[in-house]
Amino acid sequence: MGQLPTQTYHTIEKDRANFDYLRNKLKIKKLQESDKFQISYPLAHEFLKGKGLDLGKIREHSSKLIGAAVMSGSLLLTPPSSFKSLPAPHEIIEKFRQNTNPNLKSSHDLIVETLASVIPKRARPLSRVEEKLIEQVFQNVIGVTARATLEGEHLNTTYGYIGAEQHLRRYPGDKISDHGEGKVLKEGIAPGLGAWGYFTGSRESLSESDIEREKWYAVVQTLYLPDWDRRQPFLKSWYKYRKVLIVNTNNGNAVVATIADSGPAAWTGKHYGGSPEVMAYLGGERYKKGPVIVFFVDDPENKMPLGPVEYNNMTLAGGLYE
Amino acid sequence: MSKIFYDHLIILEEIKVYISRVSSSQEEKEELWNLVDEIVHHRIFSMVLDKLPKEHHDNFMNKFYKAPHDERLIKFLSEKTGEDIEKIIKDESENIARELRQLVSSKNKR
Repeated sequence: MGQLPTQTYHTIEKDRANFDYLRNKLKIKKLQESDKFQISYPLAHEFLKGKGLDLGKIREHSSKLIGAAVMSGSLLLTPPSSFKSLPAPHEIIEKFRQNTNPNLKSSHDLIVETLASVIPKRARPLSRVEEKLIEQVFQNVIGVTARATLEGEHLNTTYGYIGAEQHLRRYPGDKISDHGEGKVLKEGIAPGLGAWGYFTGSRESLSESDIEREKWYAVVQTLYLPDWDRRQPFLKSWYKYRKVLIVNTNNGNAVVATIADSGPAAWTGKHYGGSPEVMAYLGGERYKKGPVIVFFVDDPENKMPLGPVEYNNMTLAGGLYE
Repeated sequence: MSKIFYDHLIILEEIKVYISRVSSSQEEKEELWNLVDEIVHHRIFSMVLDKLPKEHHDNFMNKFYKAPHDERLIKFLSEKTGEDIEKIIKDESENIARELRQLVSSKNKR
């Protein structure tokens, strides 16, 4: 039997105490590390201070620099020697049409081979040229119009690692047992809410679209966007339930999901998160982390359904768009 | 975009799970994430400057100030220290993870 409503405050108080305890401990540890750095490396500390920087907040400085470089088109994240000569999109599509390569047995193979020839093995932010080429390949092979930049918005990175997330509570009192059946329940349900709170106010008001949104949800690092704080409330509203196309670069599996939470933290080695259903489709039941491409779905009329994109038997879409 | 040249070498999973458990809102979660982030930056910098000969400190700080995201800084540090700086940062990340684990477990023992 669950707790009586009058008993729930015990849990709330316990969680509050744990939060306060952890916050205080982390603050003390941060101060200790900061003092140690200042004492051990006074010149480095003075250097940063002279530039108006706090080492602890260095991510903000990085954000500003990269934001400015993206605007001016001068962003260079890898040495010039590592840039590959990219094939033209029509060459890729033609290669598939002619099917001269015996290893290319399916559209998935084409996606995997194309991505391997365009992007580096280790995930990093892509250049605009790389993104543009991949957009065309996705549209022609997967059949989804997806954009790295949509309405002027761009993610922190469009090529990174996705990690497994738990189910999200859709309404007050939601339980894991109501999220389907089988192995997707194994991840459990997150103790907190997604960045946009409950999907709806009550079980009675839960719609099919709420169910689908939670089932096929994605997590992106909105908190690290360079202008996240400055452009509120617009950005929060723009990202809420925004559709994204996620493509596993190792096997070509593709899924359309909605953004329903913010994260993961920068120090997890991951850049996105996926619901248990998203992860199971992208890489199987044991898939916990892997490289993916994430683009916004250009779907102004909201016609693109959420969930797996089955494109293996599709014929190639019409002409290439410019 | 926000990126520091050693981000890909830092992996702290357990504290993430604990933070999710004790935070009741996105704001609380992000506040704790940022505190961990600040701890990481100070620790990694102390470790890097400790390994790097003093005559290269100025050069490194200037390069870092101009492009904190540039992963070529790893190569620069490896060349100037003569050590496998990626492994050293990964090891330090494990030390931080261990210390944060102790910090959380000391609460649970109380």
